[in-house]
Amino acid sequence: MGDMKHTAWQSLVVASLLIAASSSADTRPQYGGTLRISTRIAPATLDPATSTRSDPVTGQNLTHLIFDTLVTVDNGGKIQPALSTSWQAEAGDQRWQFWLRRDVKFHDGSPLTSDAVAASLRAVNRTWNVSPNRDSVIIELDAPTQDLPGRLALPENAIARRSPGVKIVGTGPFQISDWQPGKTLILSANEAYWNGRPFIDSIEIEMGKDFREQMIALELGKADLIEVAPEQARRTVIDGRRIVLSAPVQLMALVFAGDRQSPADGKLRQVLSLSIERTAIRNVLLQGNGDPAGGVMPNWISGYEFVFPSVSNVRRAQEIRSEVPRAPAWRLGYDLNDPLAKLIAERIALNARDAGITLQPSVSGATDVRLVRISVASADPRVMLTNVAATLGLPQPKFSGNSVEELYQAESKMLETQRLIPLFHLPLAYALRPSVRGWSQDRDGTLHLQDVWVGTEKP
Amino acid sequence: MTLTSTDETLRATEKAVYNLRIPEMCKPPRTVRMPCRCLLLFSLLCYSLKPLWAVGWDAPEQQLARKISVITGPGTISIGVVNRSSISRKDSEEITRGLQVQLGAVGVHSVNAEQAAANVQVSLSENFQSYIWVAEIHQGPSESSVVMISFPRPAGATLSSESPALTISKALLWSQDERILDVVSLDVNGNPLHLIVLTPDQLGIYRFQDGRWQQDQSLPISRAHSWPRDLRGRLILSKDHLFDIHLPGTFCQSTAVTPLSIACHDSDDPWPLGNEPVALRAFFAPRRNFFTGALVPGVGKQTIAPSFYSAAALPREKYVLWLFATTGGQIHALDGITDQTVAKSGWGSDIASVRTNCGSGWQVLATRSGDVSPDAIRAFEFPDREPVPASQPVELDGNVTALWTEPSGSTAIAVTRNSENGRYEAYRLAIACGR
Repeated sequence: MGDMKHTAWQSLVVASLLIAASSSADTRPQYGGTLRISTRIAPATLDPATSTRSDPVTGQNLTHLIFDTLVTVDNGGKIQPALSTSWQAEAGDQRWQFWLRRDVKFHDGSPLTSDAVAASLRAVNRTWNVSPNRDSVIIELDAPTQDLPGRLALPENAIARRSPGVKIVGTGPFQISDWQPGKTLILSANEAYWNGRPFIDSIEIEMGKDFREQMIALELGKADLIEVAPEQARRTVIDGRRIVLSAPVQLMALVFAGDRQSPADGKLRQVLSLSIERTAIRNVLLQGNGDPAGGVMPNWISGYEFVFPSVSNVRRAQEIRSEVPRAPAWRLGYDLNDPLAKLIAERIALNARDAGITLQPSVSGATDVRLVRISVASADPRVMLTNVAATLGLPQPKFSGNSVEELYQAESKMLETQRLIPLFHLPLAYALRPSVRGWSQDRDGTLHLQDVWVGTEKP
Repeated sequence: MTLTSTDETLRATEKAVYNLRIPEMCKPPRTVRMPCRCLLLFSLLCYSLKPLWAVGWDAPEQQLARKISVITGPGTISIGVVNRSSISRKDSEEITRGLQVQLGAVGVHSVNAEQAAANVQVSLSENFQSYIWVAEIHQGPSESSVVMISFPRPAGATLSSESPALTISKALLWSQDERILDVVSLDVNGNPLHLIVLTPDQLGIYRFQDGRWQQDQSLPISRAHSWPRDLRGRLILSKDHLFDIHLPGTFCQSTAVTPLSIACHDSDDPWPLGNEPVALRAFFAPRRNFFTGALVPGVGKQTIAPSFYSAAALPREKYVLWLFATTGGQIHALDGITDQTVAKSGWGSDIASVRTNCGSGWQVLATRSGDVSPDAIRAFEFPDREPVPASQPVELDGNVTALWTEPSGSTAIAVTRNSENGRYEAYRLAIACGR
């Protein structure tokens, strides 16, 4: 019935939250305390221009702690003001003007100026003509860009002051106290944050920890918030821990290295897609988490994802395979550090073999097709499609209008390239200690850690 | 230029809200002979003004039928409808019938699959913003088309059924996207005729006129510093001018004559906690969301309490017992001499007392403990040193963000953030006895 309905075990997740929360008597947020986080990502830099690339959701959450964007996208998909309080576009949507919030300061005490904003945006978007104009910035683009506000809400467009030899600074709710690249990050509350000082005093982030190490840290009381592998979420709930799940915000897909070479190549790609038993993989390897995917966007964003078939049809796959006399062996790449990816790659190879295709899972060297995870990045469907295309090197989708049918056409064209085969839409899962209160996250996986507070924890 | 965001005025005032929706306001009842009944009536009226889900399918049915007919042309089809959305089964069946009627109107008639020239599978789906209705049209083994429409989903408005046994009645006064800190209703003969709504950046003054609420004035609140998170504020009616506003580190005072204006300045002056005859003032931490515990003039000889979020006064024969919901999660009772911790109250951070004609004459309204959402408020008697439940909890649609006793002392204002749509809603809570 789609992802609007709760599954029984998701209800269990909710129940685990209720049980954990009811142990405390205070309901109004408390100031103070430290939140200790453990994460898999280990970025070498905090610059939002690059730190969001490796793991967009985690990267963007890290970025939002330190930096602000001009605008944000709320949980209803509407653009909301942030560092910019208002904006307008000239007819044609090629020239935009964004007025800046007054009295905002970077963490180093310097004021947020239109010069600083323009420099920040230019550093990330080389093709944009960004110019300061007193208390506003003007962005001129090569082509009409109706979704520019949505793009400006992406974490890579967060406003940062970059100076050679000087640490990068932002305007966000937390400022950097200590940073050991790829290892630890300690943040302290920005007392003068324009949108209200965070409740907690500091955040300590341990980086580069795999799921097992994170769980141990939680059990030993050394972490308050950890990531949980989707396939482990159910087990974690059964073990009595407090789990929160996002909406499906990651697309797991097979991505071909190059374009379709010939009609026969296209048929083989179709055979591979038809051979994959997504439902069985979901039930067994994903432990019931996530949704089999036929489309790029999850149904909660598009509303029509079910139109794209995701059911396997081995007989049809074999019929099509018989139309192609020779099929090359493909090397299937996957992330060595992702244990789930290894299992799924091996299972896909077995499915493909049943349909007459040879796939060789590989973690090194050149590959013909890769198993990847792509994050939603934005709840704005146009921005998401554009972002996926950019990430995979596909032609940029063109939208002739605003209707849902035009969105569907753009997504259909992307799939017709046969460069990617959607497999699953996966949620993100976190485990929290009972003392972590005020938890909130958007559907797109954005966490609001500035709203989190640390309460009393009772056994 | 195409205006795509807020206007120049809004920009000039550094307004932090984009595309504010027109606030939904509930009409007051016309007659107020029996306050309790009228509050219930008022509550029902408020709910009845909200948009309902089960209306307005005609236009999308017609739109989708036309799109299907463009593909199939006039003729016969077999049609199946699958509901993949939160639309109720009843509505889904109604939509199925309506769609067939609309298809018939454009010459497309529904028949058995064997007799049909095309098979149409309609999915009633939705995304996080809209309903999406999709028609997959199969006109042969290999010929298929997809048409779809989308239209906004109405804001979730679930009708709340008040149990006749409840002794707390709630009446929706005001609802808006922006955070509501406090609301004061200026009533004439029990009818709210003016409403003052305090938000982080402005004060809205509304008048009930010609059957609807109209904005009289909007007064921006100037400040020299950013607000703390979980912002709180109080709106206090004054004798020599209209009202005072207490905000963390800021105090504002209105003029006495219309058109009103307000002047704000940095201030650490204590906030009033109660109304006469139980007036007490307390200092509010200027960068936080709680009172420091310093009291003026004090509870008897006690001028310090633990830092607290809220307080409630319970006048006794010879003294006033003050209850404080402390930042440590406990309830402290100060009687002028002793400071006792109340065991097993089950209360949350927000409490307020109301003077009624029921029971002992004073009850405490308290949120419940834990951060379970949605929240609930319950009335308690405090005969000795332990609270005794005096009503069933009244369930709310989200977490309580403010709970203040109204100037009359007999009712309270509760502000909640609706967990379904994120809007802030200000309710008047009144205790009805004997029911």
